[in-house]
Amino acid sequence: MIPAAAGIGLRFPHHRAVLEERPAAAWFEVHAENYFGGGTPLEYLDAIRRDYAVSLHGVGLSLGSVGGLDERHLSRLGSLVKRIEPGLVSEHLAWTAVDGTHFADLLPLPLTEETLSVVAHNLKVTQDFLGRQILLENPSSYLRYRGSTIPEWEFMSEVAERTDCGILCDVNNIFVSACNHRFDARQYLRRLPAQRIGEIHLAGHRLRRLEDGRSIRIDDHGSRVCPEVWALYVDAVTLFGRVPTLIEWDTDVPPLAVLLDEAAQAESFMSSEPTDARTA
Amino acid sequence: MPGLLELQRALAGALLEENAPVAWPHIAEDEFTAAERLAIYRNTCRSTLVETLRMSYPAVERIVGPEFFDVAAERYVAAHPAHSGYLNEYGGEFAAFLGGFEPARALAYLPDVARFEWALSVAANAPDVPVLEPGVLLSVEPDQHADVRFAPHPSVSCLDLGHPADEIADAVLAGDDAAMAQIDLAPRALFLVAHRGPSGLETERLSARAYEFVWRLFAGEPLGRVLDAAPEQAPMLLAQQLSKGRLSAYRVGA
Repeated sequence: MIPAAAGIGLRFPHHRAVLEERPAAAWFEVHAENYFGGGTPLEYLDAIRRDYAVSLHGVGLSLGSVGGLDERHLSRLGSLVKRIEPGLVSEHLAWTAVDGTHFADLLPLPLTEETLSVVAHNLKVTQDFLGRQILLENPSSYLRYRGSTIPEWEFMSEVAERTDCGILCDVNNIFVSACNHRFDARQYLRRLPAQRIGEIHLAGHRLRRLEDGRSIRIDDHGSRVCPEVWALYVDAVTLFGRVPTLIEWDTDVPPLAVLLDEAAQAESFMSSEPTDARTA
Repeated sequence: MPGLLELQRALAGALLEENAPVAWPHIAEDEFTAAERLAIYRNTCRSTLVETLRMSYPAVERIVGPEFFDVAAERYVAAHPAHSGYLNEYGGEFAAFLGGFEPARALAYLPDVARFEWALSVAANAPDVPVLEPGVLLSVEPDQHADVRFAPHPSVSCLDLGHPADEIADAVLAGDDAAMAQIDLAPRALFLVAHRGPSGLETERLSARAYEFVWRLFAGEPLGRVLDAAPEQAPMLLAQQLSKGRLSAYRVGA
């Protein structure tokens, strides 16, 4: 079980440090696909799992693919889940594959009734195959479709309602998308069903400024959490209470101590909330 | 607004090809055009695959330098979309691509170094599968031994190369210019088998006859036929494959 505390995203450069130094991290989350093979990475994960709670976070299942899920991918995820017995399993509201071609990025979906059916179907198939509930994460995005008819928060809530999945609320993603598409991030948070929130993600992003004065926020997970996202996190904790919170860092991965420091920061914000808002 | 599948196909076209405007009308435009917004995703998709190649082919990158590697990798990525969400499976045709990549033509050994590195990558990422015990044939009646067919561990690769790719990769990754200078780069046959054993990745050079034996063995030919490849060395070679953990299953008959 993942504790309602701040954990950190575990990447390969820190495998050895975790085993040697046994840092006081509350829990770790790994990208599931990084452990689809055998050998050394899986040996490290087995060893770390013996002492820590671990969550599996998928990035390549493509829940938004019309033609159904890649059975080989799902089967590999299933084997890993069986072996690691993770406290949480999560995937994204995104698509990454069509007609057998896979794209190495989380691509945005048009938010329509058809997409809702596709995502809900694929998510149900996943949960049935794994024999457990998974969490669905809201993505960050750089484009919107003209034909989208459902606000993202409503889409997330409806998928959760139809499939009984949980929601992984990525606060940084909400902030990035809110800035890029000019919507109210706080309103997004307020519209999510608090009782469905099983995890929160926090990460750094980059503000890319173009020479002509335009700017766009890029979700690169390559820096500390910015003050605006911390402020939004405080709102999230107020709304959702204490839930497992993860510090993600994927590019220019810093020393473990920096990640632990970010987790301590999240913990301090979480601890300032006296009660679980959902049960108060 | 088209259906989801049609829209995804249009997006796929725009991500694979810069001038593919089919998706543009479906994307909301404001201060950024649809093409600009799509370019963000296209760049991420491409750069992730380039980095995946960089991870799998460190010796190739050392040999050609990072700028040249980027050019070659970008060209490869543009022509070879990924077919799995498990990126460790991406890049298996890079050696063949380099063989036809005109700017790398002077480095005749480069494709062999890539083949060698791909075998190491396959060995590193293969699933954990139990291996056969060395005494496995004791449980088969002797008169059936000739009909036994083996299956290799998924980490095993056989390499029939024309250059000493193992020595070259070791020298460049160690940054050992003196060792590199000593290597005879002239084409010559080199037979290798790579796998992941209990103590990690292993590569072994083999004679032509031993290679013929293990190649047939790993291809699942019946033992009776495999033995023809190297009759005198056969018992020792078979024992080696078993003790090194290169065989994971067997069956008797067809």
